[in-house]
Amino acid sequence: MDYIRIIPSLLLLNKKLVKGVCFKNFKNAGSPLSTITAFDSQGADEILIMDIDTYLDKKKEPDYEIIKKISEISSTPITFGGGIRNIEIAKKIIRLGIEKIYLNRIVFENKNIVTQLIKYLGGQALVIGINLIKIQGKYRIYEDKENKIDVLKHIIDIQNIEIGEIKITFVDREGKKCGLDLKFCKYIMNYIRVSSIFEGGIGSLDQLEDAFKEKIGAIALGTMLTFNDYNIVKIKRHLHNKGFNVRL
Amino acid sequence: MKIGIIDYGAGNILSVYNAIYNLGYNPIIVTESSKIKNFDKLIIPGVGSAFHALNILKEKNFIKELKDLIGSKISILGICIGFQIFSKKLTEDGISKGINLFNADIIPISEPNIFNIGWCKVKLNKEIAAKIKINDTSDFYFCHSYYMKNNSINENNNCFGFAKFKKEIPSLVIKENFMGVQFHPEKSQANGIKFLKFFLGWTP
Repeated sequence: MDYIRIIPSLLLLNKKLVKGVCFKNFKNAGSPLSTITAFDSQGADEILIMDIDTYLDKKKEPDYEIIKKISEISSTPITFGGGIRNIEIAKKIIRLGIEKIYLNRIVFENKNIVTQLIKYLGGQALVIGINLIKIQGKYRIYEDKENKIDVLKHIIDIQNIEIGEIKITFVDREGKKCGLDLKFCKYIMNYIRVSSIFEGGIGSLDQLEDAFKEKIGAIALGTMLTFNDYNIVKIKRHLHNKGFNVRL
Repeated sequence: MKIGIIDYGAGNILSVYNAIYNLGYNPIIVTESSKIKNFDKLIIPGVGSAFHALNILKEKNFIKELKDLIGSKISILGICIGFQIFSKKLTEDGISKGINLFNADIIPISEPNIFNIGWCKVKLNKEIAAKIKINDTSDFYFCHSYYMKNNSINENNNCFGFAKFKKEIPSLVIKENFMGVQFHPEKSQANGIKFLKFFLGWTP
């Protein structure tokens, strides 16, 4: 890739977009179709959509109807996450016009599925999500309630199974506009050789600049795009003027 | 104009379908290989792992039917893995054979494997760029970790666009009635739409 990437990160709940703080207190954030149409025409580099209905109800399958509608209107590459528990679901989603699937919980529950998905879809179609939360000064994986998993080991291990991309989310910064934990980003980037996306905390152009200065290649934005006056054109123009290699 | 999109059970079929539909056409999704000769234009989409994709294509007899179309009047566009099958040999997840139109192999960009995910500048042949109506350096979306390596210098003459990611990545190739792209025109916004228009108007 020649360019840094700006990726709107959208949460889908009951056919509407929502946005919260630290994965909680979700507020209505509008219509997915009109929002995606806007990001598409503003030149988003990719769009990331998470179906959080499937997080709240583990048995639920992704909302295929809305995926189909999104695919009809978007000429931007889309990554979809939520409810992808087996190969059939993954294939169905890709077929509907999704380029990459995002996996998170299943990686801990059934690593085998990840290997199988790579066999069918190729590693380039998989984004593995790592949600981090800082507890007593130390990062832990959000889903790892018993604190059994070492963050760094997990990052190294999943790259050994040939996945294309890792997405790191700072859960306790999400929606707070306090910027990424750049010190920690720098530290783990030493161990990431695949493509990576960072999210959680960015709320201003300065914070965005600071992150790209540290050679981060892709940033997903939620709050900054959802509840503020920023749009992708404005953000990219600003970064371009500051000398960053963005695609205009 | 009859446009067929080959559905071999892998790939972002509807992305390609929607892109063509939004250009004002009614493409048909083709699941039976015996029918592919009935089209004017064929598109082979691709999001998948090579070994698995080639297995299905072979099983459903698409490989043979596609080989039979080499030199015919049907223009064929392969996207990503759909383009990589034009080669002699693919190496992702085991060795598989392509349709052998290009004397080229599909190999990893580097070892250990790295992924080219995102937008790249593609340096295009000037005449082709003018026909597509875009600049001769234009951005397209890539998502791959294997690329086409030509086994003979002659094959370079069939390459009309390169991207740079660690290596020179052949990104637009044309030989006989086959056109292949490593990028995803169906997901490359305005440039991609122009490219697809160009393909639909292309006579080999």
